[in-house]
Amino acid sequence: MPTSRRDFLKTSVLASSLLFVPKFLHALDQQGVPQLRNSNGKRLVVVQLGGGNDGLNMVVPFRNDLYYKARPTLGIKEQSGILTLDQDLGFNPHMTQLKGLYDQGLVGVLNSVGYPNPDRSHFRSMDIWQSGSASDQYVTTGWLGRYLDSSCSACQVPYNGLEVDDTLSLAMKGELRKGLALKNPEKFHQVTQNRFLRQVSGEKAGGSGSELDYLYKTLAETASSADYLYQTSKVYKSAITYPNTEFGKNLKTTAELINSGIESRVFYVSLTGFDTHVRQQEQQGKLLGDLSGGLGAFVEDLQKSGQLNDTLILVFSEFGRRVTQNASNGTDHGTANNVLLLGGGLRQKGILNDAPDLLNLDQGDLKYQLDFRSVYATILRDWLGADDQAILGSEFARLSGLV
Amino acid sequence: MTNQQQLQHLYWRAGFGPRPQDIAANPNPRKALRQLLRDAAEYQPLAGPRIQAAEMQAMTPVPTPDLRQDPQAPALKKGELTSEQRKEQNRQIREAFYTMNTGWLERMATSPAQLREKMTFFWHGHFACRVRRPAAALQLNNTIRQLALGKFSDLLLAVSKEPAMLQFLNNQQNRKQRPNENFAREVMELFTIGRGHYAEQDVKEAARAFTGWSYDAQGQFVFRERQHDAGPKIFLGRTGNFGGEDILRIILEQPHTAEFITTKLYRFFVNDAPNPAHIQPLAQAFFRSGYDISDLVERLFTADWFYDAANVGTRIKSPIELLAGIKRTLGVELEDKKPLIVFQKALGQTLFEPPNVAGWAGGRSWIDSSTLLFRLQLPQVLLRNAEISIALKEDENDLDPQQTKSDRTFRQPVKAKAKLAPLGLLLAKTPEAQQPAALSQFLLQAPIRPENLQLVQQMAQKASAEGRLRTMVTSLLSLPEYQLM
Repeated sequence: MPTSRRDFLKTSVLASSLLFVPKFLHALDQQGVPQLRNSNGKRLVVVQLGGGNDGLNMVVPFRNDLYYKARPTLGIKEQSGILTLDQDLGFNPHMTQLKGLYDQGLVGVLNSVGYPNPDRSHFRSMDIWQSGSASDQYVTTGWLGRYLDSSCSACQVPYNGLEVDDTLSLAMKGELRKGLALKNPEKFHQVTQNRFLRQVSGEKAGGSGSELDYLYKTLAETASSADYLYQTSKVYKSAITYPNTEFGKNLKTTAELINSGIESRVFYVSLTGFDTHVRQQEQQGKLLGDLSGGLGAFVEDLQKSGQLNDTLILVFSEFGRRVTQNASNGTDHGTANNVLLLGGGLRQKGILNDAPDLLNLDQGDLKYQLDFRSVYATILRDWLGADDQAILGSEFARLSGLV
Repeated sequence: MTNQQQLQHLYWRAGFGPRPQDIAANPNPRKALRQLLRDAAEYQPLAGPRIQAAEMQAMTPVPTPDLRQDPQAPALKKGELTSEQRKEQNRQIREAFYTMNTGWLERMATSPAQLREKMTFFWHGHFACRVRRPAAALQLNNTIRQLALGKFSDLLLAVSKEPAMLQFLNNQQNRKQRPNENFAREVMELFTIGRGHYAEQDVKEAARAFTGWSYDAQGQFVFRERQHDAGPKIFLGRTGNFGGEDILRIILEQPHTAEFITTKLYRFFVNDAPNPAHIQPLAQAFFRSGYDISDLVERLFTADWFYDAANVGTRIKSPIELLAGIKRTLGVELEDKKPLIVFQKALGQTLFEPPNVAGWAGGRSWIDSSTLLFRLQLPQVLLRNAEISIALKEDENDLDPQQTKSDRTFRQPVKAKAKLAPLGLLLAKTPEAQQPAALSQFLLQAPIRPENLQLVQQMAQKASAEGRLRTMVTSLLSLPEYQLM
């Protein structure tokens, strides 16, 4: 007999499994939050573009003949409405809101970001970006998870790192600390709510460090966090109109969490579908429009609430595309790519390094001029005040005076 | 520890959990192990899906190794496919992997060759490989299955010559003029001897020895002599005009290799925390036996410490062990197998899709807020046909990263049937009041918390007579305790 979701939640034993959450979890809310207040108040929002976004058609080198030569039909013509950023580079015509933010001095554009010996497989390259590893290293934790490990080891709660999604990315998994994934606070709370919870009394935390304790502790933290996030997120409801897309909704949720005063320091949101082997212009144009519209509303939301100066947004993709277009008006998997930084706390704005060098390619692919781990190191040390070297496992030159 | 608990421990570790009838028979663990070994003696290949024409096109290997070629890319001529053909091709590849995946899961739950399937699963994570070619992936899987309990030296050599592995680790691109070190590096770091027992120069020399190891359009290993560097090499202190076989032989001559493999096996079968006092004698015996895997696992499962309390009910089940275990213990069958793939992805472990060549990290890394909640909801879904809603990430579907949001979203009740009658028989002689406790002893490897037992008793009292057993089972499976084995 099929049951509706609501009935299921009302009567299910699943719900009752949470009644096994011991009482000590109630103490967590009081412990966790003040510890976070010791932070410098800065937060990071990561926007992941999944599938390999073509940087060359996002930040278009419209004065470069080599670009049009490599992309006779796919290259974006100047007269089609390129949004000029400087003499040589312009945003894709669909990125009007991002151009507006750029003009306000809220955007930094990094060109040709990558890593040595790039891997062109989606999952492997995403693994490398999310773990912050070298291309021949296999690391089972994420760079933001290790940040939580290093800077939040005393924090009792997993919501220091929040991913707006149903499942948690590798990027947010540390050795000891993991972020928390939730599509929205209501749905998450609903799953963890049940009428049996109150029945549980007198349970003690195990404290033996066993696997069973670990499971109970995770469960307790999850239930406690769901409660806290749900209650707190009611404080602020966004009045800004977001694009009616999945990505727009997720950014709205993120803004509501931030503006409600959630003390999380890291937020993670994804936009997918950038694997443009065929008919790229149509597909990427739509996605870049979604990106631009979503981020436009998000930044406006944070600006209004006065949170933008403490927020840094990092936009990345696992790789860029091949310079030359393919036979299907698309592009194949490439290497180095653009990274965007947005926020009120950016000290350097605009185009931050040289435009991609289309003359000096590595077998048809862009050579990277900036290691992505340098960007991570800068964010970790200069923005979040963390030990970048310990988190990344080696030293990467930071971009001085950026944030 | 009772005989029943020991038996259950053995069935969980050497296979995918006990069935009620296994426990009802109540043999002593030594006898049960002998039976497990006997049942695992025969090798039965996993059947493959029917490969269609469009897919065959995708299977054509790269004729001239090209460093720019995406190792995961489907067809060499993909630029010539229309968007519709590409979609169809991706669909067929995905379907083929789904069939292989659920076919194997089914086998884990039902095959009498529990130990062989468990070992195959272990090596599947050890020789982790992820390719887009279903036929190549299946061939590797069956090679592993065939040699899973034989000599490790045979297994290593066979795996090293598998087209899937050669492609995954770029040995197709390893040529005399331009060596690619990927395979040589991983074979030492991850497959045999482990870091710290070789130098960077050994990697370079080994890479030269593996030049020319390749495969043909029929998916057969070929040695391309013209691409092979036949010159002298110095590897791990030895000098000679080594080829790939020589390198593997020299690696196996190092006792560290036996230790490395034994440690990994111990962590998988016994405890996440390796105990050198247990491992050293095993590793030495493994080395002396010429890397006899059957001998090693038999020693491990008969060691007195195997049944120590510290090793029972203390290991977090991997998602596959959790799923296969529920299917096996309760005889769960799904009308449509697709949700089994969704569960694997949501829980973080999909057969044939390891995260990278290092395999799954395991242990506590299986558990985060989302996966734990999902694990606790799963029994409701499988036993009460409850609806579950989850949107998978794109990177979990990298076979086709353009899958739409709705294709990635799963929201429906699962139509599943469980065979609870054997459980009822197991409990037949137990008075009703003691049934929750008896059932918990069968279903849980970690002792149930008293307050949880009380709750299960309350649930049982509230349930109708005919729904009682199902209610108790569902409650017990929804406990954190059930996540352990």
